[in-house]
Amino acid sequence: MKRFLAFLTKMDRRWLFLFLTIVILIPIIKPSNMEMKSISSPVKKAYDFIDTLPENSFVLLSLDFDPGTRPELYPQALALCKHLMKKNLRVALTTFNAGAPGIMTEFKDSILQTFPEKKYGKDIVMFPYRAVFLATVTQLATDVYAQYPDDADGAPLNKMPIMKGIKNYKDMALAIEISGTTLFTSWIYYVGDKYHLPVLGGTTAITQLSYSPYVQTGQLKGLLGGMRGAAEYEAMLHDNYQLETGDATKSLNVLNWPHMLVFLIAVLSNIAIFFGKFMPHKED
Amino acid sequence: MPHSLLVLGAWVTGFLTLGIFSFLYKDNPLFKITENLYVGVGMGYYVSLYFFQVWTPLVWEPLKEGNYIVIIPSIMGLLLLSQLVPKLSWLSRYTLTFTIGYSCGLAIPMTINTDLLTQILGTAKPFANIANVGGMDIFNMIFILVAVLCVLTYFFFSVESKGAVKKVSNVGIYVLMAYFGAAFGNTVMARFSLLYGRFDTLTKYSHAEYLYSTPIILTLFVIFFIVKHFMDKKKAAIAAEAEANGEI
Amino acid sequence: MKFIKTYIPLFIVVTVGIITLGTYFIPHRTAQTYLDGMNSWLSIIYSYAILVGFVSLFMSHGKKIAKQAEGWGYSIFMFLGFFLVFIPACFSQGKQSIDGVMTSYGWAYQFLFQPLSATMFSVLAFYIISTVYRSFRVKSAQAFVLFICALILVLGNVPAGQAVWETLLGWTGLHIADLTDWLMSVVSVSAKRGIMIGLAVGSVVTCLKMIFTIERSYLGRDS
Repeated sequence: MKRFLAFLTKMDRRWLFLFLTIVILIPIIKPSNMEMKSISSPVKKAYDFIDTLPENSFVLLSLDFDPGTRPELYPQALALCKHLMKKNLRVALTTFNAGAPGIMTEFKDSILQTFPEKKYGKDIVMFPYRAVFLATVTQLATDVYAQYPDDADGAPLNKMPIMKGIKNYKDMALAIEISGTTLFTSWIYYVGDKYHLPVLGGTTAITQLSYSPYVQTGQLKGLLGGMRGAAEYEAMLHDNYQLETGDATKSLNVLNWPHMLVFLIAVLSNIAIFFGKFMPHKED
Repeated sequence: MPHSLLVLGAWVTGFLTLGIFSFLYKDNPLFKITENLYVGVGMGYYVSLYFFQVWTPLVWEPLKEGNYIVIIPSIMGLLLLSQLVPKLSWLSRYTLTFTIGYSCGLAIPMTINTDLLTQILGTAKPFANIANVGGMDIFNMIFILVAVLCVLTYFFFSVESKGAVKKVSNVGIYVLMAYFGAAFGNTVMARFSLLYGRFDTLTKYSHAEYLYSTPIILTLFVIFFIVKHFMDKKKAAIAAEAEANGEI
Repeated sequence: MKFIKTYIPLFIVVTVGIITLGTYFIPHRTAQTYLDGMNSWLSIIYSYAILVGFVSLFMSHGKKIAKQAEGWGYSIFMFLGFFLVFIPACFSQGKQSIDGVMTSYGWAYQFLFQPLSATMFSVLAFYIISTVYRSFRVKSAQAFVLFICALILVLGNVPAGQAVWETLLGWTGLHIADLTDWLMSVVSVSAKRGIMIGLAVGSVVTCLKMIFTIERSYLGRDS
């Protein structure tokens, strides 16, 4: 017993790395299919807000993440955009993150593939990358075309059916920000609070708790946090629109095992320390 | 994209990913190579991005059109380079003070509005509706109010922490501990999500269409570590023998 | 000399700071034009700022190679990595795809930058496990609260964790989803709000001190 406790308390951490590698690989090779049984309130708020938007409303969807945070945020963006497509809303994609333009193109192609009845230029459009966040969002409050005369491929925006009747924030219904950086706060500061355009968003699980006060005050109309937020949103889309669950649900099932490993290690190491105190010590 | 480039990309990705992961076993030359590559690639990417996406449209294009006002911020930007020469580093103060003055002037009203006034309002406003809500909602309202005050008391260092102030601060500490615990739980999920992303990519690249890049590269890494282990062992034995002979 | 080195920079920070602060309260087009202009200037300055890092990096690694200091061979890979991305970017004018076809720069972004960047972040997952094992020890009541809240979130964030909770503690009638929601929407909000208000007051005070030149540490040693 003493040897076991000593092993537990003094194990080389590389064994833990190996256990973690194994517990992540197993569910990737042999996936399970457990569904999230609960929906958290900030995710429900986001879903309900989008669900109440009138058809043909214009939504700005900003994908401000790079490859480092893509596994968490891309499924969120996909789930939110699928909901927007199902509600027949107009979606303009934009980005202020240097690492995102490639991701944005892939995202647009994925949406058009999932919804073949939707057309580029009529239901969805891609604004070009802008490095200057503050100048851009400030100018969108007066004139969208001053900042975005053309789309990401150089086609004139004012000739596209999607931009009919859109001049500035007053003609938009919602801004959705997907980001794991402080850019998220800037959207709340400089768009939500200053120009009163409703803002909701998705962020990484690490930063999710930092924005929960904004959800409580209503400055954010809803918030998706990490993989779990995306999986919950997919579950709601599955229940209400019969859309198949996607990567987030699959990924969350993979994360079952590592989370159980963390739980086990935390409990076992504390038990070992606790019982170790009561073990007789040999005097040298 | 031609399939050959995709396969090449898969092999490069596999090497770079496993090279960085190899640090988890121990520090080794392959990790050092990928680490230095990362520094260079990152710098190359950001320099390219700022050059083509910011400098070219904001400086070069306006200059070609005769808009010479952009010379002023360009000079200010170039003054930052004076920091590399200690005797001339004072020149960068002009740019720094401009940046600091502007950022501070912008931040003050926004911070007061968004992070101070609205948050205080958010704590007090729910009480206006107290007659129309149920038991748990009332409990939550009171909890938030009391907890916010306790946390603020903990951070209030102008008053000595003793007596009633200390008791209230202690409650604030427990609330903070609960927050940090919840944040840690979320961090666990976030980090594992990223790790899953990498493993998913490596698994994808272990199939025949990518010429089994992941298992082959992994095998080569293992062989490298085994060979290195024996070489290091041999070196250590020779060094020990030389030392022993030196002593004799 | 002090006039040029100290007083002019301080004059700049006071003037720019007060004017920018004032534009928030002036609902006139001029204020908006000023802000748009200054935002563009700031972006141009940032595009030059990266040069400082670039030159500094090249100089330090270049010196290492020139002196053949320990590990100088690895510095060659730094330069290799830089040119593997920058040269394709120059050839494709900074575009990752042209007419739907991926350029060499796009290839470098997808197969060099993306894997390196994503893997560096994901390595932290292993250190999380190591942290939980070594440092997550309950030694006081406060550490116990932290421990319990972390475990609740760890279980509540995944379906298997929810199933484990229902099996072990389902008889209490308390669902982990409700507990997680309460922790995130009430307890965390309170703590974060307290931190936010404190930080807001602190940052406003610091910004005002900087604008009115009470705080001058950013000027350096002879300020």
